[in-house]
Amino acid sequence: MAEEFPFEMSPMYEGERIRKDDMWVELGGPNADGFELCVSAEMDELEDGRVTILGPDLNELEEGASVPFGMIYKVAGELIEKDLEGIIERRNHALFAFIQGQMHLNQRYDIWCRISKDMKKKGVESFEPIFRGVMTLYKAELPFIEKMETVVVTDPDKVKEELAKAMESYTWRDDRAKGMHDDDVDVFYGCTMCQSFAPTSACCVTPDRPSLCGAINWFDGRAAAKVDPEGPQFPIEKSGLIDAITGEYESINAMAEKRSGGEYTRMALYTFFDAPHTSCGCFETIGFYLPEVDGIGVVDRDHKGVTPNGLPFSTMAGQAGGGKQVIGFLGIGILYYLSSKFLQADGGWRRIVWMPKALKERVKEGIPDEMFDMIATEEDAEEVADLKKFLLKVDHPVVDGVVRTVDDKKITEGWTVEDPSEFEDEVIGYIEETGGDLDVDEIKEKLLMSEGQFMQVVEYLQDEGILE
Amino acid sequence: MGRVIAITGKGGTGKTAITAMFLRSLLKRDDKCIILAIDADPDANLADTLGDKVEITVGDIRENLQESMASLPPDYDKKQYFAAKVFEVLLEKDGYDMLVMGRSEGSGCYCYLNSLLKGIMYETMDDYDLTIVDTPAGLEHLSRKTITGLESLIVVSDESRRGLKTAETIRQLADELDLEYENLYVIVNKVHEQSRDQVLNTADGLDLKVIGMVPYDENIARLDLVGDPLIGLPDDSPAVVEVENIIKEIGLGG
Repeated sequence: MAEEFPFEMSPMYEGERIRKDDMWVELGGPNADGFELCVSAEMDELEDGRVTILGPDLNELEEGASVPFGMIYKVAGELIEKDLEGIIERRNHALFAFIQGQMHLNQRYDIWCRISKDMKKKGVESFEPIFRGVMTLYKAELPFIEKMETVVVTDPDKVKEELAKAMESYTWRDDRAKGMHDDDVDVFYGCTMCQSFAPTSACCVTPDRPSLCGAINWFDGRAAAKVDPEGPQFPIEKSGLIDAITGEYESINAMAEKRSGGEYTRMALYTFFDAPHTSCGCFETIGFYLPEVDGIGVVDRDHKGVTPNGLPFSTMAGQAGGGKQVIGFLGIGILYYLSSKFLQADGGWRRIVWMPKALKERVKEGIPDEMFDMIATEEDAEEVADLKKFLLKVDHPVVDGVVRTVDDKKITEGWTVEDPSEFEDEVIGYIEETGGDLDVDEIKEKLLMSEGQFMQVVEYLQDEGILE
Repeated sequence: MGRVIAITGKGGTGKTAITAMFLRSLLKRDDKCIILAIDADPDANLADTLGDKVEITVGDIRENLQESMASLPPDYDKKQYFAAKVFEVLLEKDGYDMLVMGRSEGSGCYCYLNSLLKGIMYETMDDYDLTIVDTPAGLEHLSRKTITGLESLIVVSDESRRGLKTAETIRQLADELDLEYENLYVIVNKVHEQSRDQVLNTADGLDLKVIGMVPYDENIARLDLVGDPLIGLPDDSPAVVEVENIIKEIGLGG
């Protein structure tokens, strides 16, 4: 392969940096537009191996200059589909840099390449052999590419024009990626990066559930695991489904047991209560169960005040962190709030009763419209009593019982009173005061009781013969 | 990976001036040794001492990335992105490049970004024949292994007994941190002629290897006073002459 080209090509040159002193030309980078794009095409549209150059060729560029640059790879083959474009394009980072004397940094519209003066000394004059070389590498590595062409763009106006078109492809890809769900993949990724201070933490990263720290999404897990499968990010085969609603899998349980050193044997993805995900300590926000209202509050690390349970973020983080499974607390990454599987087993957003205003704004996109105004913030309630009043006023689902969206099952009973006799005087007093003319809103406001709770007391009083 | 030398010492000992003089001397040589200078001390200003202007640091990039991570395209390769940004703030000068680490972390979890940075720093340093690090006495980037492959740790001290005791403390810290290095040297800075024997005695008592004693130098004081870069020191300046000797002693720069 090497004798065909006036330069060396080998993986050993990947990652080579070209210093300014050694640079012939700079393509893209901080001072010029640049992009790389792979597009799929039909077999009959391509002439295999062709390189088209739109604008000045390499030897026509001013030495030491930063020039606008685009490289478009067109690929065809029986197995090629649009979904593969991003994956093929990503390989350019390595393959372009396999050529000795070429640097490639970053991706998409952020590319930054340099070609060294050594390439000039070797007699390279045109982009043509360079991209023939890159295409040779591509076809050797990805044999499903049957035909391949490259369009090199150096004309500044043309670069702008093609970049605008490329943006449409990137946007299409991003929409696809954002729309990807756990059901669409066969592999999840584990992460044990923070085990140095959270020794039993066993993070499981899925498309619907990014890491608690907010740093790692499913794609990051995939990229890291590919580079170093023995490293802190590793693949978990999605297998042995136990419960689709709580997100419990045999493979994840096995991972949790292994990585927590046997501390935990079960770990479910989409629940707060039964064998929840471990909480590392790095989490961006924490959820806390409020038994008084049978709902879940959440708070982020930027919120400095206390929450309705009387505790600030830091105290709860200290109690639940360290890689533990603590029923009643759960570390949550910001991106999980935007997920369609957000605590789906527990009722999702219908179970959330309190969150700081700033956090609410930040994750607005993920909150169903009908729930947005039903979730209290620090402006509505600072203590449980105020929170109760607020939830009664807005008719929050927790008051009369939550029906979870995922399977329309009613999962909570709604508020009840434990011992109706405690409320005997209050309820009788109210009935006497109103002369039996009951107003539900007034009951909520004055007695801090739901209609159900009020009726529960009334029934008790009737059973006892106190009321008729 | 080329050779890696870290220069440390507590504030006021002149470690940054010594680092700058090291670079000044090495750059005057004819060999094609490509040097990376890393300013790892948020309180020092190696760039300034060399007459370079640095506006954005690695720490700033890490912070920006931490804040913007969720808005990047989902399948964006964050390491590549981070690496390109680090390359962008790398100051490319004649014969050397300069990287300023800058601010330390804000709140939030930096596990992921720091692990990426570790890889990026390793790959960056790999491209140079010699890396010289100006590091605070707490050895921050060395302890976190953002900077690895240390050959020599050079502690700069003033001539006081207390100063040399600090050098001993730094050695203990390096051991506690399980830092791996081959040599630990002490450079005593701003030494008065009449103190030389006493300094050597004290160092000997503390089992410290003094590799050089840089005399108090009027030229440095004058440049420092107006804030001019030390790169402009004359070749026959007493401090420069001693630094040349030290470089030879350590076997740097060919």
